[in-house]
This record gives sequence, structure tokens and C-alpha cells, in this order.
Amino acid sequence: MPDALALEGVSVDIAGVAVLRRVSLHVPPGGRVALIGRNGAGKTTTLRTLMGLLPVREGRVLAAGEDVTATPAHHRPRLGIGYAPEDRRLFGSFSVQDNLLLPAQVLRLPAEETRRRLDAVLALLPELRDLAPRRAAGLSGGQGKMVALGRALMVGTRAVLLDEPFQGLAPALALRYAEALRRLHEGLPDVAILITESNPELLRPLVESTFAIERGEIIPA
Amino acid sequence: MVAWFEQNGLLLGLALLDGLAYAALVFLVAVGLNLVFGVLRILNVAHGSLYAIGAYTAASLGIALAAGGLGPWASLVALVVAAAVVGAVLGPLIEGLILRRIYGQEEVLQLLVTFALFMILEDVQKLVWGVQPVHHDAGLRWLGTVDVPFGGDVIPFTAYQLYVLPGVALLTLAGLAWFLRRTLTGRVIVAVTTDREAATAMGIDARRVFLLTFTFGAALAALGGALSSPTAALVPGIGAQTIVLSFAVVAIAGLGQIEGAALSALMIGLGRSIAVYFAPEFEVVMPYLIMVAVLLVRPQGLFGTTETRRV
Repeated sequence: MPDALALEGVSVDIAGVAVLRRVSLHVPPGGRVALIGRNGAGKTTTLRTLMGLLPVREGRVLAAGEDVTATPAHHRPRLGIGYAPEDRRLFGSFSVQDNLLLPAQVLRLPAEETRRRLDAVLALLPELRDLAPRRAAGLSGGQGKMVALGRALMVGTRAVLLDEPFQGLAPALALRYAEALRRLHEGLPDVAILITESNPELLRPLVESTFAIERGEIIPA
Repeated sequence: MVAWFEQNGLLLGLALLDGLAYAALVFLVAVGLNLVFGVLRILNVAHGSLYAIGAYTAASLGIALAAGGLGPWASLVALVVAAAVVGAVLGPLIEGLILRRIYGQEEVLQLLVTFALFMILEDVQKLVWGVQPVHHDAGLRWLGTVDVPFGGDVIPFTAYQLYVLPGVALLTLAGLAWFLRRTLTGRVIVAVTTDREAATAMGIDARRVFLLTFTFGAALAALGGALSSPTAALVPGIGAQTIVLSFAVVAIAGLGQIEGAALSALMIGLGRSIAVYFAPEFEVVMPYLIMVAVLLVRPQGLFGTTETRRV
């Protein structure tokens, strides 16, 4: 079975500066993979490249074995790839429920499929049930991260990319988030998880494999 | 106070009525500018040209229809038709040929490009319509005047300016609020305004939203121009005057705000017309005085917020 997601020798420049250099990375189906690196090492760029948000100078981006390097960014969610950016990036004027539903509406999923996914997300993240009618702009940082995870799961039937979800979380919330990820793996074992973090110890119990990135290059972990 | 009112009451009433009608036009243009800026992140200087071209097109169409023997009602229909045509033709043309090349570029470059476009369109407008005043107000005269009671006096005012202009502005405001909050396309526009990249990662095709929003904004500018055409003779320079006022409205409202644009258009419309009647030497600076006063107190605009942006 091909990898859910993979980068093969990918280089990316931002404003003329090489930010990723020949990065190769593999996320097996249903696998849990960590990408570890310091600030500015290229973690976020790696995820944005997987989402098609940056032009690739060389190399290939693969989803389920298919070359998607040239697939426009807005088609990536249609491939079943969900993305929870750093800083949550929710739509502040929408309710939590509308934040969750927007991707399903944009992808024009049938009503029962939307319902099914929403129920699955709410089963994994029960705290979202109470938050559903609240305006996203009024959430705390930790609540926002849960909503961002839920929103990514609404489209991420094949993989979710989580950019530093533990960043800035209070210890109690970090534990709850980690617990949610464990439930996610048990409840939706087909969904691969790629998660970035600067502290390698934090993710060790949660993932099966780890890639380390430094100055835009994958180094031995 | 009472003595002043007896002397100037009529003038004040006229200033308020004029200001309201003017605010309606300013709102239509400014809300389009605000919508376009919120989504495309380009401050489109050429937005004023779309207003001017909408005005000239409406007048020409009205004149042609009248010459073709149609009644004055046709001149009123022509206003809306002209706006739709200008928006539908020039909107995609400008977005596809010019703006698409400068998304995400430096702001200075974007301003220069839209300013250049503004200059080009000004000259195109002079080539097509010349520099002599163009005027067609058959529709306005057909609707007649209304006697507005005001503090014991009666002010005769055109029904067109009293009902049609504020009516269209209110309908646009309500329609836009409904569209942005209740329809999927509207919510997609709000999502792109809030965070283009996050919206793209949800499957939204930002390019399509840009085209749609720009065309819609262009049509609103053209509608403002078209509706203004029966109220005054059209001369070169109305585009420049309009864009400057719209910038002031957007700055006061806060970027991406539609209700805010309505309120600040009202402030600027009334402020300007009160100046026209009572202190004509302040007419030109009035919008900026209001803008400076608001921004001193609230630098992010009346309704703008620093962290979350709402449409």
C-alpha cells in the first residue's frame, strides 16, 4: 500500500531563499509521524508544501502514491488531506459549528456524509459539542486548537497535518490534546497523522516514526 | 438657538436631505471598495473610474433609449442595466488581465498598478465621452418632487433623491449582509477575507472568489456612478473625487466592514453637505476632518478590530 503522503527530494524557495532542501518524508497509511525541528527549521514550510500552498522547485509530492505536485492547493482537501495550521487560524466571525461545517460545504459533501463526519469528530472531541454555538473569535487558545483539529478532521479522511498543536498549551490542556490524538488513532485508524513539534520528548509516546529537520534538511533523528 | 433655527432651518433641512442622498451614493461605492480590499488585499484606486464609467454609461444609455422613443421609466431601468453591464464587462477584464498578476506583490507596486489603471481609464473615458458635461435626468424629473415638512417649513425635494437613492443603499446593505452571512458563496468570501491560506486549505478556490468579488465590487461602484448620473452633470474628474471619498469612508469604517461603511458614509455625506450649505470653504476638507477625528480616537476605524476581521 503506498504512503498516505510523501515528499520525494522536495526543494522549496521562499522569496529566493532555499527553505527546504531535497526533503524526503513518508507518512504510511494510518501512520503517526512526528516532524521535529527548531523554530525556522522548515516544519511549517513542509506542511504548507504538502498542502500545495507553496510552489515546489524540485522533487515530487505524493498522495496515496499519486503525484500531486501540480495539484492546486484547493484540490488537496478533496484528496482527503486536512490541515490544522499553527495559531489555529479559525474563521473568527463564524460559530464553531460553522467552522467545522465550512469545508464539508465547500467540498459539497452529501448531507449524510457531512453528518457522519461531524458525528465522528464530535465523538472524538466531545468538548466541541458545548462549544458548537460559540463564536470562534471568543475561544481560548486551547479550545481553538481542538476546533482546528476537528475542522482538519472534517476533510482529512486520509491524513491530517497538525502544525505545532502543543505550542502554548497549558500542561493540562496538552494532556487532553494528546488524549484526543490517542482516541483519534483508535477511532479512525485509517487516518494518518503528521504532527510537528520542537520538543522531541513530548511526541515520543504518540508516534511510531520521527523525522528531524534542521535548516531545511532532513537529518537522522 | 431658536433664532438661528428660524433663520437657517430651511438650509439645515436641505443640507440633511442632500447629505442623506449623497451618503447613499458614497456608501455604494465605498462598500464595493471595502469588499474588494478585504478579499483581494489590493486597494484599488481605479475603483473611482468604475464609478465614473458607470455614470457615463448610464447617461448614454438613457439618452439613447429616450431618443429611441421609450418613456422616462426606461432611463431609470438604464441606470441598473448600465451598472450591471459595466461590472460584468470591466470587472473580469481588469481582474483577469491586470490584478491577477500583482496578487501578493508589494503594496507599493499594487498601488502604482491600480493608479496607472485609473489614469488609463480616465483617458479612455475622455476619449469616449469627451470633456463636455453629459447630463440626462429624464428619470429623475419623471418621478417628480415631494414636499418634505421640516420644522414648520416645507422643502421640495426630488423623489429620486429622497426615496430611490437611500432605498437602493438600504437594500444593498441588507442584501449584502444577508448574502455574506447566510449563503455559502458569501461565507466563502468571508472566509477568504479572514484568512486566505486557511480558506484554501479548506478547499476554497481563492482565485475564483477574487474574480467574483472584484466583479461584484466593480458593479457596486458602477451602480453608485449610474445612480448619481441624473443628479448632476457628468464631467471629467468625478472618478478621482469619488475614490478619495471612498478611501475616507473605508478608513473610518475599518477594513472589511459593511455596516461600518454605511455609518461612515452617512457621517461623510452629512458632514460634507452641512459644510456645503454653512461653510462652503470646508467642503473639500470635511471628509478628512471627520476621518482624522475618528482615527484619533479609534485608529483601527469605528468597527475595525485588530485581531479578527469581519465582513
